[in-house]
Amino acid sequence: MKWSFNFLRVSADDQRIENLKGLSLFKRLTARELRELDELLHQRSYQKDEVIFDEGDTGLGLFIVLSGRVKIVSSHAALQHLAPEFGPGDCFGELALFEEEQRTARAVALEPTQVLALFRTEFVSLLERDRGIGVKILFELSRMVVWRSRKLLANQPHLPTV
Amino acid sequence: MRNEPEPGILTWGVIIVVTCLILYLFERILWLVVPGLLTLVGYYCLQPLVQALVRAGLKHRTAGKVVTGLLFLVTVLGVILLLSLATTRAAGWKAVTTHYVQGGLDFLGKTEAQLVEKLPMVKRSALVRSTPTNLDAAAGQFVDNYLGRLLLQMVHWVPSLLLVPYLAYFILQDGNRFKKHMIRSVPNAFFEKTLLLFDRVDRSLQSYLIGMVKLTFLDTACLGLGLWLLGISYPILLGLIAAVLAWLPYVGSVVGCVLVVMVAATDFSNEPVIIYGCMVLFICVRLLDDFVFLPLTVGRSLRVHPVLSVLMLFLGAAVAGPAGLLLVLPVLGVVAVITETLRQILTDERLRKRYRHARQLQRTMAEVG
Repeated sequence: MKWSFNFLRVSADDQRIENLKGLSLFKRLTARELRELDELLHQRSYQKDEVIFDEGDTGLGLFIVLSGRVKIVSSHAALQHLAPEFGPGDCFGELALFEEEQRTARAVALEPTQVLALFRTEFVSLLERDRGIGVKILFELSRMVVWRSRKLLANQPHLPTV
Repeated sequence: MRNEPEPGILTWGVIIVVTCLILYLFERILWLVVPGLLTLVGYYCLQPLVQALVRAGLKHRTAGKVVTGLLFLVTVLGVILLLSLATTRAAGWKAVTTHYVQGGLDFLGKTEAQLVEKLPMVKRSALVRSTPTNLDAAAGQFVDNYLGRLLLQMVHWVPSLLLVPYLAYFILQDGNRFKKHMIRSVPNAFFEKTLLLFDRVDRSLQSYLIGMVKLTFLDTACLGLGLWLLGISYPILLGLIAAVLAWLPYVGSVVGCVLVVMVAATDFSNEPVIIYGCMVLFICVRLLDDFVFLPLTVGRSLRVHPVLSVLMLFLGAAVAGPAGLLLVLPVLGVVAVITETLRQILTDERLRKRYRHARQLQRTMAEVG
Protein backbone atom coordinates (compact mmCIF):
# COMPACT_ATOMS: atom_id res chain seq x y z
CA MET A 1 0.00 0.00 0.00
CA LYS A 2 2.83 2.33 0.94
CA TRP A 3 4.58 1.72 -2.34
CA SER A 4 1.51 2.43 -4.39
CA PHE A 5 0.99 5.69 -2.46
CA ASN A 6 4.57 6.79 -3.16
CA PHE A 7 4.16 5.82 -6.78
CA LEU A 8 1.07 8.02 -7.02
CA ARG A 9 2.82 10.95 -5.38
CA VAL A 10 5.83 10.76 -7.74
CA SER A 11 3.42 10.50 -10.61
CA ALA A 12 1.54 13.61 -9.45
CA ASP A 13 4.85 15.48 -9.14
CA ASP A 14 5.85 14.52 -12.67
CA GLN A 15 2.44 15.56 -13.98
CA ARG A 16 2.81 18.96 -12.34
CA ILE A 17 6.28 19.39 -13.86
CA GLU A 18 4.84 18.45 -17.25
CA ASN A 19 2.11 21.09 -16.82
CA LEU A 20 4.70 23.72 -15.91
CA LYS A 21 6.67 22.88 -19.04
CA GLY A 22 3.55 23.75 -21.06
CA LEU A 23 3.53 27.35 -19.75
CA SER A 24 5.19 29.83 -22.11
CA LEU A 25 7.06 31.55 -19.29
CA PHE A 26 8.85 28.33 -18.33
CA LYS A 27 9.15 26.70 -21.75
CA ARG A 28 12.97 27.06 -21.82
CA LEU A 29 13.50 25.36 -18.46
CA THR A 30 14.77 21.78 -18.18
CA ALA A 31 12.98 19.16 -16.04
CA ARG A 32 15.56 19.65 -13.28
CA GLU A 33 15.07 23.45 -13.34
CA LEU A 34 11.29 23.05 -13.33
CA ARG A 35 11.52 20.84 -10.23
CA GLU A 36 13.53 23.55 -8.48
CA LEU A 37 11.04 26.20 -9.55
CA ASP A 38 8.07 24.05 -8.52
CA GLU A 39 9.24 24.30 -4.89
CA LEU A 40 8.54 28.04 -5.04
CA LEU A 41 5.16 28.09 -6.78
CA HIS A 42 1.92 28.41 -4.81
CA GLN A 43 -1.35 27.21 -6.28
CA ARG A 44 -4.51 29.17 -5.35
CA SER A 45 -8.17 28.74 -6.25
CA TYR A 46 -10.54 31.70 -6.66
CA GLN A 47 -14.31 31.75 -6.97
CA LYS A 48 -16.21 33.67 -9.64
CA ASP A 49 -16.05 37.44 -8.88
CA GLU A 50 -13.37 37.00 -6.20
CA VAL A 51 -10.67 39.68 -6.18
CA ILE A 52 -7.16 38.27 -6.72
CA PHE A 53 -5.43 41.57 -6.06
CA ASP A 54 -6.65 45.12 -5.87
CA GLU A 55 -5.49 48.42 -7.30
CA GLY A 56 -3.29 50.08 -4.68
CA ASP A 57 -2.18 46.80 -3.07
CA THR A 58 1.55 46.37 -2.64
CA GLY A 59 2.61 44.06 -5.46
CA LEU A 60 4.42 41.02 -4.09
CA GLY A 61 4.34 38.51 -6.93
CA LEU A 62 3.37 37.29 -10.37
CA PHE A 63 0.30 35.15 -11.14
CA ILE A 64 -0.10 32.57 -13.92
CA VAL A 65 -3.57 31.36 -14.90
CA LEU A 66 -3.88 27.57 -14.90
CA SER A 67 -7.62 27.40 -15.55
CA GLY A 68 -10.51 29.86 -15.70
CA ARG A 69 -10.43 33.52 -16.71
CA VAL A 70 -9.23 36.71 -15.01
CA LYS A 71 -10.29 40.24 -15.83
CA ILE A 72 -8.17 43.33 -15.22
CA VAL A 73 -9.90 46.60 -14.28
CA SER A 74 -8.10 49.88 -13.66
CA SER A 75 -8.97 53.44 -12.73
CA HIS A 76 -5.94 54.67 -14.72
CA ALA A 77 -6.98 56.51 -17.86
CA ALA A 78 -4.46 54.67 -20.06
CA LEU A 79 -5.73 51.27 -18.97
CA GLN A 80 -9.41 51.99 -18.42
CA HIS A 81 -10.67 51.28 -21.92
CA LEU A 82 -8.54 48.16 -22.37
CA ALA A 83 -10.02 45.89 -19.68
CA PRO A 84 -8.02 42.84 -20.80
CA GLU A 85 -8.81 39.25 -19.91
CA PHE A 86 -6.35 36.47 -19.20
CA GLY A 87 -6.89 32.78 -19.80
CA PRO A 88 -4.95 29.56 -19.17
CA GLY A 89 -1.19 30.00 -19.70
CA ASP A 90 -1.28 33.81 -19.41
CA CYS A 91 0.45 35.65 -16.62
CA PHE A 92 -0.34 38.96 -14.97
CA GLY A 93 1.03 41.15 -12.18
CA GLU A 94 4.54 40.60 -13.53
CA LEU A 95 5.80 44.08 -12.58
CA ALA A 96 5.67 43.02 -8.93
CA LEU A 97 8.59 40.69 -9.65
CA PHE A 98 10.79 43.71 -10.30
CA GLU A 99 9.66 46.27 -7.73
CA GLU A 100 7.53 46.43 -4.59
CA GLU A 101 5.16 49.13 -5.81
CA GLN A 102 1.39 49.55 -5.72
CA ARG A 103 -0.66 47.55 -8.22
CA THR A 104 -2.07 49.73 -11.00
CA ALA A 105 -5.14 47.56 -11.57
CA ARG A 106 -7.54 45.13 -9.97
CA ALA A 107 -7.60 41.45 -10.99
CA VAL A 108 -10.94 39.62 -10.64
CA ALA A 109 -11.75 35.99 -11.41
CA LEU A 110 -14.51 35.86 -14.05
CA GLU A 111 -15.20 32.18 -13.32
CA PRO A 112 -13.80 29.60 -10.90
CA THR A 113 -10.09 30.07 -11.52
CA GLN A 114 -6.86 28.39 -10.53
CA VAL A 115 -3.63 30.35 -10.56
CA LEU A 116 0.03 29.79 -9.72
CA ALA A 117 1.75 32.53 -7.73
CA LEU A 118 5.48 33.24 -7.82
CA PHE A 119 6.50 35.41 -4.89
CA ARG A 120 9.12 38.11 -5.59
CA THR A 121 11.51 37.41 -2.70
CA GLU A 122 11.46 33.67 -3.41
CA PHE A 123 12.16 34.42 -7.07
CA VAL A 124 15.07 36.69 -6.09
CA SER A 125 16.53 33.96 -3.85
CA LEU A 126 16.25 31.55 -6.80
CA LEU A 127 18.10 34.08 -8.99
CA GLU A 128 20.85 34.31 -6.40
CA ARG A 129 21.47 30.59 -6.21
CA ASP A 130 20.76 29.55 -9.82
CA ARG A 131 21.26 32.30 -12.36
CA GLY A 132 20.65 29.94 -15.27
CA ILE A 133 16.97 29.56 -14.35
CA GLY A 134 16.71 33.28 -13.65
CA VAL A 135 18.09 34.25 -17.04
CA LYS A 136 15.63 31.95 -18.86
CA ILE A 137 12.59 33.20 -16.95
CA LEU A 138 13.65 36.85 -17.10
CA PHE A 139 14.23 36.53 -20.85
CA GLU A 140 10.68 35.25 -21.39
CA LEU A 141 9.28 37.88 -19.01
CA SER A 142 11.14 40.64 -20.87
CA ARG A 143 9.76 39.43 -24.19
CA MET A 144 6.25 39.48 -22.77
CA VAL A 145 6.65 42.95 -21.23
CA VAL A 146 8.09 44.32 -24.48
CA TRP A 147 5.25 42.77 -26.47
CA ARG A 148 2.61 44.19 -24.13
CA SER A 149 4.26 47.63 -24.10
CA ARG A 150 4.22 47.71 -27.89
CA LYS A 151 0.57 46.79 -27.93
CA LEU A 152 -0.15 49.47 -25.35
CA LEU A 153 1.77 52.08 -27.31
CA ALA A 154 -0.05 51.11 -30.46
CA ASN A 155 -3.24 51.65 -28.44
CA GLN A 156 -4.50 48.22 -29.22
CA PRO A 157 -6.86 46.63 -26.69
CA HIS A 158 -4.74 43.57 -25.95
CA LEU A 159 -2.99 42.50 -22.78
CA PRO A 160 -1.40 45.66 -21.38
CA THR A 161 1.28 45.40 -18.71
CA VAL A 162 -0.34 45.62 -15.30
CA MET B 1 11.21 49.02 -1.73
CA ARG B 2 8.24 50.76 -0.15
CA ASN B 3 8.80 52.42 3.21
CA GLU B 4 6.53 50.92 5.85
CA PRO B 5 5.66 52.86 9.00
CA GLU B 6 7.70 51.95 12.08
CA PRO B 7 5.80 50.00 14.77
CA GLY B 8 4.20 52.27 17.39
CA ILE B 9 4.58 52.16 21.18
CA LEU B 10 1.54 49.90 21.59
CA THR B 11 2.94 47.40 19.07
CA TRP B 12 6.31 47.38 20.83
CA GLY B 13 4.52 46.86 24.16
CA VAL B 14 2.74 43.83 22.71
CA ILE B 15 6.04 42.56 21.25
CA ILE B 16 7.84 42.81 24.61
CA VAL B 17 5.00 41.17 26.56
CA VAL B 18 4.65 38.32 24.05
CA THR B 19 8.44 37.82 24.01
CA CYS B 20 8.50 37.53 27.82
CA LEU B 21 5.59 35.06 27.78
CA ILE B 22 7.31 32.93 25.14
CA LEU B 23 10.58 32.98 27.09
CA TYR B 24 8.73 31.90 30.24
CA LEU B 25 7.13 29.04 28.30
CA PHE B 26 10.41 28.11 26.58
CA GLU B 27 12.19 27.92 29.93
CA ARG B 28 9.62 25.30 31.00
CA ILE B 29 10.14 23.20 27.84
CA LEU B 30 13.83 23.82 27.35
CA TRP B 31 14.34 20.11 26.60
CA LEU B 32 12.36 20.71 23.40
CA VAL B 33 13.50 24.26 22.61
CA VAL B 34 17.25 23.53 22.55
CA PRO B 35 16.93 20.63 20.05
CA GLY B 36 14.60 22.85 18.02
CA LEU B 37 17.16 25.64 17.94
CA LEU B 38 19.97 23.24 17.02
CA THR B 39 17.76 21.77 14.31
CA LEU B 40 17.21 25.22 12.83
CA VAL B 41 20.96 25.92 12.88
CA GLY B 42 21.57 22.55 11.17
CA TYR B 43 18.81 23.19 8.65
CA TYR B 44 20.14 26.60 7.62
CA CYS B 45 23.71 25.26 7.41
CA LEU B 46 22.75 22.20 5.35
CA GLN B 47 20.16 23.85 3.11
CA PRO B 48 22.77 25.15 0.58
CA LEU B 49 24.12 21.60 0.30
CA VAL B 50 20.65 20.25 -0.49
CA GLN B 51 20.15 23.01 -3.07
CA ALA B 52 23.54 22.20 -4.63
CA LEU B 53 22.50 18.53 -4.96
CA VAL B 54 19.17 19.59 -6.51
CA ARG B 55 21.12 21.69 -9.02
CA ALA B 56 23.28 18.64 -9.71
CA GLY B 57 20.14 16.79 -10.79
CA LEU B 58 18.78 15.04 -7.67
CA LYS B 59 15.14 15.40 -6.66
CA HIS B 60 14.56 17.57 -3.59
CA ARG B 61 13.48 14.68 -1.35
CA THR B 62 16.43 12.54 -2.46
CA ALA B 63 18.85 15.40 -1.87
CA GLY B 64 17.38 15.85 1.64
CA LYS B 65 17.86 12.15 2.35
CA VAL B 66 21.47 12.16 1.10
CA VAL B 67 22.46 15.20 3.17
CA THR B 68 20.75 13.95 6.33
CA GLY B 69 22.33 10.53 5.81
CA LEU B 70 25.76 12.19 5.64
CA LEU B 71 24.96 14.22 8.76
CA PHE B 72 23.90 11.07 10.59
CA LEU B 73 27.09 9.27 9.51
CA VAL B 74 29.30 12.15 10.64
CA THR B 75 27.41 12.37 13.98
CA VAL B 76 27.76 8.62 14.62
CA LEU B 77 31.49 8.70 13.76
CA GLY B 78 31.94 11.76 15.99
CA VAL B 79 30.15 10.10 18.92
CA ILE B 80 32.17 6.87 18.51
CA LEU B 81 35.42 8.86 18.36
CA LEU B 82 34.43 10.91 21.42
CA LEU B 83 33.40 7.84 23.40
CA SER B 84 36.62 5.96 22.60
CA LEU B 85 38.65 9.04 23.57
CA ALA B 86 36.61 9.43 26.76
CA THR B 87 37.11 5.83 27.85
CA THR B 88 40.87 5.86 27.25
CA ARG B 89 41.62 9.34 28.54
CA ALA B 90 38.94 10.00 31.16
CA ALA B 91 41.39 9.71 34.04
CA GLY B 92 43.82 12.04 32.27
CA TRP B 93 41.07 14.62 31.63
CA LYS B 94 40.10 14.60 35.30
CA ALA B 95 43.71 15.20 36.29
CA VAL B 96 44.11 17.99 33.69
CA THR B 97 40.88 19.69 34.83
CA THR B 98 41.89 19.55 38.50
CA HIS B 99 45.35 20.80 37.58
CA TYR B 100 44.01 23.85 35.74
CA VAL B 101 41.30 24.70 38.28
CA GLN B 102 43.94 24.55 41.02
CA GLY B 103 46.20 26.77 38.87
CA GLY B 104 43.42 29.33 38.48
CA LEU B 105 42.71 29.36 42.21
CA ASP B 106 46.40 29.76 43.00
CA PHE B 107 46.59 32.72 40.62
CA LEU B 108 43.55 34.27 42.31
CA GLY B 109 45.14 33.81 45.74
CA LYS B 110 48.48 35.24 44.56
CA THR B 111 46.82 38.29 42.98
CA GLU B 112 44.82 38.85 46.13
CA ALA B 113 47.94 38.64 48.30
CA GLN B 114 49.78 41.12 46.04
CA LEU B 115 46.84 43.51 46.16
CA VAL B 116 46.69 43.40 49.94
CA GLU B 117 50.47 43.87 50.12
CA LYS B 118 50.49 46.91 47.86
CA LEU B 119 47.15 48.38 48.98
CA PRO B 120 46.68 47.52 52.65
CA MET B 121 43.30 49.19 52.75
CA VAL B 122 41.95 46.49 50.41
CA LYS B 123 40.32 43.92 52.62
CA ARG B 124 39.98 40.33 51.58
CA SER B 125 36.76 39.87 49.64
CA ALA B 126 34.18 37.33 50.75
CA LEU B 127 34.54 35.54 47.41
CA VAL B 128 38.27 34.96 47.75
CA ARG B 129 38.09 33.96 51.39
CA SER B 130 35.54 31.30 50.57
CA THR B 131 37.66 29.84 47.74
CA PRO B 132 38.51 26.21 48.56
CA THR B 133 42.25 25.71 48.47
CA ASN B 134 42.09 21.95 48.87
CA LEU B 135 40.68 20.84 45.53
CA ASP B 136 40.53 17.12 46.35
CA ALA B 137 38.21 17.81 49.28
CA ALA B 138 36.16 20.15 47.14
CA ALA B 139 35.93 17.53 44.39
CA GLY B 140 34.72 14.94 46.90
CA GLN B 141 32.11 17.36 48.17
CA PHE B 142 31.02 18.03 44.56
CA VAL B 143 30.66 14.29 43.81
CA ASP B 144 28.56 13.77 46.96
CA ASN B 145 26.28 16.74 46.42
CA TYR B 146 25.92 17.27 42.70
CA LEU B 147 27.20 14.38 40.57
CA GLY B 148 24.03 12.30 40.85
CA ARG B 149 21.87 15.25 39.90
CA LEU B 150 24.23 16.16 37.03
CA LEU B 151 24.12 12.61 35.64
CA LEU B 152 20.32 12.61 35.86
CA GLN B 153 20.25 15.91 33.96
CA MET B 154 22.49 14.42 31.26
CA VAL B 155 20.27 11.35 30.95
CA HIS B 156 17.29 13.71 30.72
CA TRP B 157 18.93 15.70 27.89
CA VAL B 158 20.30 12.86 25.74
CA PRO B 159 16.95 11.69 24.25
CA SER B 160 15.89 15.23 23.43
CA LEU B 161 19.22 15.95 21.73
CA LEU B 162 18.73 12.81 19.67
CA LEU B 163 15.73 14.61 18.20
CA VAL B 164 18.07 16.99 16.33
CA PRO B 165 19.03 14.74 13.35
CA TYR B 166 15.48 13.35 13.28
CA LEU B 167 13.89 16.83 13.07
CA ALA B 168 16.58 18.05 10.65
CA TYR B 169 15.76 15.14 8.35
CA PHE B 170 12.08 16.06 8.16
CA ILE B 171 12.66 19.79 7.82
CA LEU B 172 15.23 19.33 5.04
CA GLN B 173 13.06 16.85 3.19
CA ASP B 174 9.54 18.18 3.71
CA GLY B 175 9.96 21.64 5.28
CA ASN B 176 9.04 23.45 2.09
CA ARG B 177 6.00 21.26 1.43
CA PHE B 178 4.84 21.80 5.00
CA LYS B 179 5.21 25.56 4.57
CA LYS B 180 3.22 25.43 1.31
CA HIS B 181 0.47 23.41 3.01
CA MET B 182 0.26 25.96 5.81
CA ILE B 183 0.06 28.83 3.32
CA ARG B 184 -2.61 26.96 1.35
CA SER B 185 -4.89 27.04 4.40
CA VAL B 186 -4.72 30.86 4.54
CA PRO B 187 -7.69 32.70 2.94
CA ASN B 188 -6.93 34.24 -0.46
CA ALA B 189 -7.29 37.80 0.85
CA PHE B 190 -4.34 37.35 3.24
CA PHE B 191 -2.27 35.08 1.03
CA GLU B 192 0.33 37.58 -0.18
CA LYS B 193 0.81 39.11 3.28
CA THR B 194 1.23 35.62 4.76
CA LEU B 195 3.91 34.84 2.19
CA LEU B 196 5.60 38.08 3.20
CA LEU B 197 5.38 37.08 6.87
CA PHE B 198 6.93 33.65 6.25
CA ASP B 199 9.67 35.21 4.17
CA ARG B 200 10.52 37.80 6.84
CA VAL B 201 10.60 35.24 9.67
CA ASP B 202 12.72 32.90 7.56
CA ARG B 203 15.17 35.64 6.62
CA SER B 204 15.45 36.96 10.19
CA LEU B 205 16.13 33.53 11.65
CA GLN B 206 18.46 32.50 8.87
CA SER B 207 20.59 35.63 8.98
CA TYR B 208 20.73 35.56 12.80
CA LEU B 209 21.57 31.86 13.23
CA ILE B 210 23.95 31.60 10.27
CA GLY B 211 25.51 34.89 11.40
CA MET B 212 26.08 33.43 14.86
CA VAL B 213 27.71 30.31 13.37
CA LYS B 214 30.03 32.46 11.24
CA LEU B 215 30.79 34.61 14.28
CA THR B 216 31.69 31.48 16.26
CA PHE B 217 34.15 30.42 13.55
CA LEU B 218 35.72 33.89 13.39
CA ASP B 219 36.02 34.11 17.19
CA THR B 220 37.52 30.61 17.35
CA ALA B 221 40.09 31.52 14.69
CA CYS B 222 41.07 34.83 16.34
CA LEU B 223 41.20 33.46 19.88
CA GLY B 224 42.96 30.27 18.77
CA LEU B 225 45.61 32.25 16.88
CA GLY B 226 46.10 34.71 19.75
CA LEU B 227 46.36 31.96 22.38
CA TRP B 228 48.74 29.98 20.17
CA LEU B 229 50.98 33.06 19.80
CA LEU B 230 50.92 33.48 23.59
CA GLY B 231 51.93 29.82 23.96
CA ILE B 232 48.82 28.64 25.83
CA SER B 233 47.95 24.90 25.78
CA TYR B 234 45.01 23.69 23.63
CA PRO B 235 44.58 27.08 21.84
CA ILE B 236 41.96 25.97 19.27
CA LEU B 237 39.90 23.98 21.80
CA LEU B 238 39.91 26.88 24.26
CA GLY B 239 39.06 29.34 21.48
CA LEU B 240 36.15 27.14 20.36
CA ILE B 241 34.78 26.74 23.90
CA ALA B 242 35.03 30.50 24.52
CA ALA B 243 33.39 31.28 21.15
CA VAL B 244 30.49 28.89 21.84
CA LEU B 245 30.07 30.32 25.35
CA ALA B 246 29.82 33.77 23.74
CA TRP B 247 26.37 32.72 22.41
CA LEU B 248 25.26 33.71 25.91
CA PRO B 249 25.47 37.51 25.56
CA TYR B 250 27.87 39.27 27.99
CA VAL B 251 27.97 36.44 30.60
CA GLY B 252 29.38 33.90 28.12
CA SER B 253 32.37 36.09 27.18
CA VAL B 254 33.30 36.55 30.86
CA VAL B 255 33.04 32.80 31.55
CA GLY B 256 35.16 32.07 28.46
CA CYS B 257 37.78 34.59 29.59
CA VAL B 258 37.91 33.05 33.11
CA LEU B 259 38.42 29.62 31.57
CA VAL B 260 41.37 30.77 29.47
CA VAL B 261 42.87 32.72 32.38
CA MET B 262 42.74 29.53 34.50
CA VAL B 263 44.73 27.64 31.85
CA ALA B 264 47.20 30.50 31.39
CA ALA B 265 47.64 30.92 35.17
CA THR B 266 48.57 27.24 35.43
CA ASP B 267 50.88 27.08 32.40
CA PHE B 268 52.59 30.36 33.24
CA SER B 269 52.18 30.73 37.00
CA ASN B 270 55.34 32.86 37.28
CA GLU B 271 54.68 35.00 34.23
CA PRO B 272 51.72 37.29 34.94
CA VAL B 273 52.40 39.16 31.66
CA ILE B 274 51.09 36.15 29.72
CA ILE B 275 47.95 35.99 31.91
CA TYR B 276 47.26 39.68 31.43
CA GLY B 277 48.03 39.16 27.72
CA CYS B 278 45.16 36.63 27.60
CA MET B 279 42.82 39.17 29.17
CA VAL B 280 43.92 41.83 26.66
CA LEU B 281 43.38 39.28 23.85
CA PHE B 282 39.83 38.69 25.04
CA ILE B 283 39.09 42.42 25.21
CA CYS B 284 40.52 42.89 21.68
CA VAL B 285 38.45 40.01 20.27
CA ARG B 286 35.36 41.41 22.05
CA LEU B 287 35.99 44.81 20.41
CA LEU B 288 36.58 43.14 17.04
CA ASP B 289 33.27 41.30 17.53
CA ASP B 290 31.32 44.42 18.34
CA PHE B 291 32.74 46.71 15.67
CA VAL B 292 33.80 44.42 12.80
CA PHE B 293 32.53 40.83 12.97
CA LEU B 294 29.00 41.41 14.29
CA PRO B 295 28.09 44.00 11.62
CA LEU B 296 29.58 41.67 8.98
CA THR B 297 27.79 38.50 10.14
CA VAL B 298 24.66 39.01 12.26
CA GLY B 299 24.37 42.72 11.37
CA ARG B 300 20.91 44.17 11.81
CA SER B 301 19.30 40.85 10.93
CA LEU B 302 16.77 41.15 13.74
CA ARG B 303 16.00 44.82 13.05
CA VAL B 304 15.92 45.61 16.78
CA HIS B 305 17.43 48.81 18.21
CA PRO B 306 20.65 48.13 20.24
CA VAL B 307 19.24 49.87 23.35
CA LEU B 308 16.13 47.69 23.25
CA SER B 309 18.36 44.62 22.74
CA VAL B 310 20.29 45.37 25.94
CA LEU B 311 17.10 46.04 27.91
CA MET B 312 15.58 42.82 26.61
CA LEU B 313 18.69 40.88 27.66
CA PHE B 314 18.09 41.98 31.27
CA LEU B 315 14.40 41.18 30.97
CA GLY B 316 15.13 37.79 29.35
CA ALA B 317 17.57 36.88 32.12
CA ALA B 318 15.02 37.92 34.77
CA VAL B 319 12.22 35.87 33.17
CA ALA B 320 14.09 32.73 32.11
CA GLY B 321 17.64 32.86 33.50
CA PRO B 322 20.54 31.74 31.25
CA ALA B 323 18.06 30.23 28.76
CA GLY B 324 16.41 33.65 28.54
CA LEU B 325 19.78 35.28 27.79
CA LEU B 326 20.42 32.81 24.99
CA LEU B 327 16.96 32.95 23.44
CA VAL B 328 15.78 36.50 24.02
CA LEU B 329 17.25 38.12 20.87
CA PRO B 330 16.07 35.58 18.26
CA VAL B 331 12.65 35.31 19.95
CA LEU B 332 12.34 39.11 20.10
CA GLY B 333 13.29 39.42 16.41
CA VAL B 334 10.76 36.80 15.28
CA VAL B 335 7.97 38.12 17.54
CA ALA B 336 8.62 41.65 16.25
CA VAL B 337 8.30 40.52 12.63
CA ILE B 338 5.13 38.47 13.28
CA THR B 339 3.42 41.13 15.41
CA GLU B 340 4.16 43.92 12.95
CA THR B 341 2.95 41.92 9.93
CA LEU B 342 -0.19 40.80 11.79
CA ARG B 343 -0.86 44.42 12.76
CA GLN B 344 -0.60 45.41 9.10
CA ILE B 345 -3.03 42.65 8.11
CA LEU B 346 -5.55 43.31 10.88
CA THR B 347 -5.62 47.07 10.39
CA ASP B 348 -5.93 46.87 6.59
CA GLU B 349 -9.61 47.51 5.96
CA ARG B 350 -9.26 46.62 2.26
CA LEU B 351 -7.97 43.12 3.05
CA ARG B 352 -10.70 42.51 5.62
CA LYS B 353 -13.32 43.74 3.16
CA ARG B 354 -11.97 41.41 0.48
CA TYR B 355 -12.05 38.51 2.93
CA ARG B 356 -15.70 39.25 3.86
CA HIS B 357 -16.55 39.48 0.14
CA ALA B 358 -14.97 36.04 -0.51
CA ARG B 359 -16.90 34.53 2.44
CA GLN B 360 -20.11 36.03 1.06
CA LEU B 361 -19.40 34.52 -2.37
CA GLN B 362 -18.73 31.16 -0.72
CA ARG B 363 -22.05 31.28 1.16
CA THR B 364 -23.92 32.27 -1.99
CA MET B 365 -22.32 29.40 -3.90
CA ALA B 366 -23.26 26.97 -1.14
CA GLU B 367 -26.85 28.17 -1.16
CA VAL B 368 -27.12 27.94 -4.94
CA GLY B 369 -25.35 24.54 -5.01
